[in-house]
Amino acid sequence: MRRSRELARRVVARGAAQVSLAWLATLVVLAVLAPVLPIDPLAQDLLAELEGPSAAHWFGTDELGRDIMARVIYGARTSLMTAAGAVAIAGAVGVPIGLMAGFFGGWRDAVLMRLIDVLLALPGILLAMAIIAVVGRSQAAALLAVGITGIPSFARITRAQVLSLRKRDFVVAVEALGGSAAYTMFRTVLPNSWSPILVQVVVLSSVAILLEAALAFLGIGIPPPTPSWGEMLRTGKTYLYEAPTYAVLPGLVLTLTILSLDMLGRVMASVLEDRHEIEEPAALQGGRP
Amino acid sequence: MIGYILRRLAQLLPVLLLASVGIWAMVYAIPGGPVGMILGENATPEQIAALRAELGLDRPVIVQYWAWLTNALAGDLGVSLHSRQPVVSLIGERLPATIQLGLAATVVGLLIGIPVAVASALMPGSWLDRALSGWSALALGVPTFWLGILLILLFAVHLRWLPSASGYVPFWESPIEMLRNILLPALTLGIYVSGIFARFLRASLVAELRADYVRTARSKGLPERDVVGRHVMRNAMLPFVTIVGLMMANFIGGTVVTEAVFTYPGLGRLLITAISTRDYPLIQGCILVILVIYILINVMVDVLYAYIDPRIEYA
Repeated sequence: MRRSRELARRVVARGAAQVSLAWLATLVVLAVLAPVLPIDPLAQDLLAELEGPSAAHWFGTDELGRDIMARVIYGARTSLMTAAGAVAIAGAVGVPIGLMAGFFGGWRDAVLMRLIDVLLALPGILLAMAIIAVVGRSQAAALLAVGITGIPSFARITRAQVLSLRKRDFVVAVEALGGSAAYTMFRTVLPNSWSPILVQVVVLSSVAILLEAALAFLGIGIPPPTPSWGEMLRTGKTYLYEAPTYAVLPGLVLTLTILSLDMLGRVMASVLEDRHEIEEPAALQGGRP
Repeated sequence: MIGYILRRLAQLLPVLLLASVGIWAMVYAIPGGPVGMILGENATPEQIAALRAELGLDRPVIVQYWAWLTNALAGDLGVSLHSRQPVVSLIGERLPATIQLGLAATVVGLLIGIPVAVASALMPGSWLDRALSGWSALALGVPTFWLGILLILLFAVHLRWLPSASGYVPFWESPIEMLRNILLPALTLGIYVSGIFARFLRASLVAELRADYVRTARSKGLPERDVVGRHVMRNAMLPFVTIVGLMMANFIGGTVVTEAVFTYPGLGRLLITAISTRDYPLIQGCILVILVIYILINVMVDVLYAYIDPRIEYA
């Protein structure tokens, strides 16, 4: 806990991270407050179709006269919730797989990592498309597809981290003191592996938001009328001549979000790399088995 | 060498087999299974029983998989439910378009990525280096479908230089028409991979520039141009070949979003159409073909790398 606060302090000290965090915080606040804001993403005004940005509609209106900014804000809810859910699925499956593969080694490592290789045998977007082809198009399908696509990176990062800790004295000590495999894995190895996993959470959030938008753009993501950035780009693309800002502005919000998460991930990774001081293993702070 | 290739293939065989089981099992996982997929929801029990027998669904599962696999290996991927045409010929029509786009995008990526990497590696830490790193981050972060829309707005809607929808024109039929059609999609994908190429090549150039042989070359008075051009570039290019190869493998299936932006008639659009019309034999065929090509290119990249780098032992 102390170390993650230290990590957070160092990350926030970087200018690039501040800009990213400011954007992401604005987005989260807007997404959370959306229901109490005076905006309605579904209200149609057929007399005001495909209008450009104006004082009444900052981002203009869509083909049904709906306010695009309201839809972008509600789209943020869709994006952020899908990303959070997908990263949770990927982490909940991927981290234990990596932990077990790295901890036990041998045939269990070989079998688990072969399974991960199968997930990696296709580019991510195709894997997600294949999953949607099987379970059909729905909100849950999009979540599941994006989540499963993220499993391999969690498994690999965790496994690499576990391998580097496996033979360290404090792990061997816990085992020698009679710590069970489960105790050693979850209470000793895992608490010392959080930093790279946390970086992965940020990186994968970016990937998840992009993938959800891409699926929606292809017309197989979260079904309408749920506002989604990718869906807005898909529809906006058909009105490039009439209302060029329709596709451009939601895309800009999506791009800024992805760039912010990428930037944050890079800053976190470089802070971790820079940190040369010897760390006191969390296992020894928290008592004995 | 041949032994090495065979060993690499043998390592990938389990992955291929497992993935093929997954692709085959797809139709069994959908509600209603293969019968419901063909007959729809309002079929009579007699129709269902007849079709089950016809499709061989009353046979053991392993027999069914084996039949599917041997057919696929013999080039029979079934018939599209929608167009009633053989899946193999539908895929065959689209594959050249995707390959052409993938190659064009790789060329664009190299044309942008290599100069960016060399310029920033020669002056690490300078303002130019930082600006170019910013470019790479931007190239990697901007979603291709948004970049594609921006390019269409600029070059097709505003300037009217290029078409907003790109058809497939084979290079040998009309190079100029082909360029007009492929320029925007190739630029969209090429800018994205240029970010990957630049980052990777910069890192390996910077590492090489610190090597002892570079100090030796410089201290014996070799001009910097020759140090970089003749020694450093050659060594840095080696691992770079791998990345270029992997990206090309990715393009076999990974152009799907760009194809959608430009309504380009490639394999990716075929797959999207297949998914939206629930044309399962076509979905299975597309994914299987993409998977096999993807894995084969990966093996080829490995082999090529071992071949051009004498330090790698493959005996």
